[in-house]
Amino acid sequence: MNKRLVGMVVAGCVVVPSLVTAQTDPLEIMNRVDRLLRGDSSRGVATMEVVTENWEREMTMELWSLGTDYSLVRLRAPRKEAGTATLMADDDIWNYLPKVDRTIKIPSSMMGGAWMGSHFTNDDLVKESQLIDDYEVELVFDGDRDGVTVWEFRLTPKPDAAVVWGHIEYQVQQDNYMPLWTRFYDEDGDLSRTMTYSDFSELGGRLVPAVMEMQPVDKPGERTAITYQELEFDVDIDQSFFSLRNLQRQR
Amino acid sequence: MLESPWLRIGWRNLGRNRKRTTLTALGLAIGFAANVLLVGWVEGLQAEMVESATSLVNGQIEIHDAEFRPDRSMFDTIGGRAGVDVDALLRAVDADTAVVAAAPRVYAGGLVSSGEATSAGMFMGIDPARELVLTRFLDQLVEGRLPVSGQNELVVGEEMARQLSAAVDDELVVVASGADGSMANDLYRLVGIFRSGLTELDATFAVMPIGDLQALMVLPPSRIHEIAVATTDPWIAETTALRLRDTLPGVEPAIEVVSWDVLNPAMVDYVALADSMHFIIIFIVFGIALFGVANATLMATYERRREFAVMLALGATPRSIWSTVLSEALAVALVSLVIGAGLIFPVMVWFHNAPPDMSWLLDSDVTLMGALLSPSLRVEYNPSFWLTCAVALIVTAVIAALYPAFRAGRTPPADTLSGL
Amino acid sequence: MRQSQDSPRSSSSHVGVIVRLAFRNLRRQLRRSILTAMAMIVGGWLLIFSFSLGDGMHETWIDSGIRTSGGHVTVEQPEFQLSRKIEDRLSTNVRQRVEQALESPVIKPHVVAVSSRLTVTGLASSSAGSRPARIIAVDPIDEAVFGTLDEQVIDGRYLEPGDELAGYVGRGLIDALDLRVGSRFVVQAQDTEQEIAGQLLRVVGIFETGLSEIDQSVIHIPLVTGGAWVGSGRDVTNVGVVLTDSEIVPVVTAYLERDLDTSISTGDAKVMDWQESNPPLSAAIAIDNFGNYLVYGILFMIIAFGIVNTVLMSVLHRHREFGVLQALGLTPGETGAIVLVEGLSLTAISGCLGVGLGLLTTWYFFGDGIDLSSLAPDDMEFSGVVIDPYVYPLFRGTRLAQVFAFILFIGAVASIYPAVRAATINTVEAMKFDR
Repeated sequence: MNKRLVGMVVAGCVVVPSLVTAQTDPLEIMNRVDRLLRGDSSRGVATMEVVTENWEREMTMELWSLGTDYSLVRLRAPRKEAGTATLMADDDIWNYLPKVDRTIKIPSSMMGGAWMGSHFTNDDLVKESQLIDDYEVELVFDGDRDGVTVWEFRLTPKPDAAVVWGHIEYQVQQDNYMPLWTRFYDEDGDLSRTMTYSDFSELGGRLVPAVMEMQPVDKPGERTAITYQELEFDVDIDQSFFSLRNLQRQR
Repeated sequence: MLESPWLRIGWRNLGRNRKRTTLTALGLAIGFAANVLLVGWVEGLQAEMVESATSLVNGQIEIHDAEFRPDRSMFDTIGGRAGVDVDALLRAVDADTAVVAAAPRVYAGGLVSSGEATSAGMFMGIDPARELVLTRFLDQLVEGRLPVSGQNELVVGEEMARQLSAAVDDELVVVASGADGSMANDLYRLVGIFRSGLTELDATFAVMPIGDLQALMVLPPSRIHEIAVATTDPWIAETTALRLRDTLPGVEPAIEVVSWDVLNPAMVDYVALADSMHFIIIFIVFGIALFGVANATLMATYERRREFAVMLALGATPRSIWSTVLSEALAVALVSLVIGAGLIFPVMVWFHNAPPDMSWLLDSDVTLMGALLSPSLRVEYNPSFWLTCAVALIVTAVIAALYPAFRAGRTPPADTLSGL
Repeated sequence: MRQSQDSPRSSSSHVGVIVRLAFRNLRRQLRRSILTAMAMIVGGWLLIFSFSLGDGMHETWIDSGIRTSGGHVTVEQPEFQLSRKIEDRLSTNVRQRVEQALESPVIKPHVVAVSSRLTVTGLASSSAGSRPARIIAVDPIDEAVFGTLDEQVIDGRYLEPGDELAGYVGRGLIDALDLRVGSRFVVQAQDTEQEIAGQLLRVVGIFETGLSEIDQSVIHIPLVTGGAWVGSGRDVTNVGVVLTDSEIVPVVTAYLERDLDTSISTGDAKVMDWQESNPPLSAAIAIDNFGNYLVYGILFMIIAFGIVNTVLMSVLHRHREFGVLQALGLTPGETGAIVLVEGLSLTAISGCLGVGLGLLTTWYFFGDGIDLSSLAPDDMEFSGVVIDPYVYPLFRGTRLAQVFAFILFIGAVASIYPAVRAATINTVEAMKFDR
């Protein structure tokens, strides 16, 4: 989830100010974002709040990522579950359970399951596909919405892309390249879920949306919200960091 | 009629040609015995099927929250979020005279992992003492024993154990969704392996004491998903369910009390189909026997044509000849009935109480309508059918004798006596 | 009758005498013979009727059962049946060998259909959710002949050659994933490199079998697509064959085992017949047959009693006649033989008539099958096979031979006691009295 998260964050922002131009070529923007992302690494601390019909929870977690293939998430709170960790490496997911001190590899049949009970699935986490790899991007709106100047992009799956969405739309603020929302539609054009970005703050030297919230359309009262407290980019970690051994460490 | 001379003559004639009488009677007797045995066996199969479907795992009646089926969400517990007084509810169910056993269940989905493999699994929390009375799948464990409450023990099906390469005493990791949204997990010791014979069960179910599962899932003891009930006879389940619905203490939100025939209508249809076949069997068996009896009676009347001629010459009416012949047939029928019953009822009692095992015939278990059948010559009693058979036997004998009786009544007295 | 000499000719002329006497007696007691014959005729008729329909029904069960699984005979990697993993597949080499073997002139005439399949266990996802699925990659044309899933389409169509991203999905899965014809969905599974690979598909048709395990998890896709998805190229997980008749199975199994000898010994292949791959079906048929044998055993016991009755009576009435015959030189053995021949020929003739009638009427009236659907419940299922309520009679040479042998056996057994009685007649006593 982290690299998706970061991917989306970076998709909406341009790092090097001097490269900001009035370009509205969506592919260019996304390419730029992607270029910035590749080889990048990050570390962050966030809280995740999940509200469902039957329960509500809040978790605090520490997240690391390397490129698009590796990430590690470790829970710090609630205390009962502190140390629970998820490792994603090359499309495989492992969960470490501190209470029993065991690591389990998630089988493919469980990939549809919710990650940590949230509205993100295990599958969301490992999807290797970058948006630009799987979708054609087209600018559909360039103008004012509620007093804010935005771009709106429409992403349509490429013919053979193994993705379930009919299309994806997202809205980016033009002045600071911050994403405002991403909407996921099924093929009938019905909205399935919405991700909104807010609380734009400077973290780790960049302007990022500190809060991201996912809302499923079929269950209106439910949502998952991730709020970043800390974020650093280009940290000094390499592939060896994303190992099963590291997964099991408590810190 | 018993005073009538014709009946006496009829009985006496039986002794006239013992061999023939015996053979004829045997033919009819075997027909009777065959019918009783065959129908007993078919009904045995049916009873096996129904019992298997209802007492292997499910019970004849299930009590759930009205919303529980079909999605089986873990949150739809009996009594909703507040739960119920489980003990009081169980006591109320037990109080019904038709109820043999009732047991509470909790269900959850999740993962089971041994060191080597991980399987998706369905967890079932049970009360071991009550469960043993209610269902049969835990009666004979392939290995090990039943789990004890509070010790983090569980049993799994044979197929799951194989997929996990797990053996008794191995440690298993269990992961399930908690009712508070947490990822519930804990270590358990595998203490037993069961084999129900139904692969879906043996491959996906992991069973543990109900309190342990509730603790894992962060459910209070008052929240359960199901009460499964066994009745004295599967066929009174429907009426019992109706009665329970009225007598059980009110629970909010509404509960449903549903019997197995509602959950498995196809099986009910199948049993009805099999029942309709009974008459075909009677018809065939006695149809065949008819010829034998007709033949024998015809021969007998032919042999005694002189006797009939004398009777007619002395003033008997054809009708009285008919009476003689028919009463002889009736007599044979009664004798056959006695022989047949004597032959088959000991066998029926034997097969009913200690059915011979037929597994040499088959190399695996058979399922019928999704229920497991164990290969044995089990028979069920059906007194009303036996009565029908007895009547059919008598009717056959009498019908077979009609034409010979008629012919006998038309014996020309003078010609016969003069030797033609 | 001429007095027989002690010459080689004597026994043959006695045989003639025996037979003539036997037949003449049957004719003399025509009514009695006919009545007894009737029982046997009806019995023989019933036997043929019941067994031909029973055999036909079993063949249908087997046919349904094997078409939804691996065929009458199937070749797989030995581990595959239990592991269900993509690593345990048949290499293209072995696949081709099997396909070639099935083309050989010895086997080909018995082959109805061959289908090579790649079965993958994975996950099917749509925008509405995901479910575990069993994805079977097949050649559309081969599979349409081989299996019956294509006939259970309720919307859209089955796969066609040229399809690439097509998926043929069961109703249960369609409902769970909120799909319809034309919808996109994704399947994922571990590929040959141990990585999780995804494949885009579109629903091209929806089926419903009535069996929830199939409707909720099976998806058919084109074989080429499957191979590309998991990277297995032209490998398959099994090759199955449907034969014209289940009786040929042992022959074909033996042939394949010889042909694949080397592959079998290296553990790359295993040849299984349907009983091995579908034991419950085999057991169900055994039980049904047993029930049939039981019924007919009993029926014929009853008929046998009738025969004994008739023949015995006729013996007991012919004391004088037998006495005279023996006085004229017929041995007791030969006297007994007369009775035996009488009983046997009565049985044989009526048996033939009954069987013949049975064959004719069953073929004429029911050759097109009996429709039992009004009797049977909608979703009748036996050992995992949905029962087709149409029953077609099947006439098998072996079965006919069995029936004849059985009838003759009954006739012989029923005639033994009367024959013995006839043979042990005291000649002198017999001729003393009138009757």
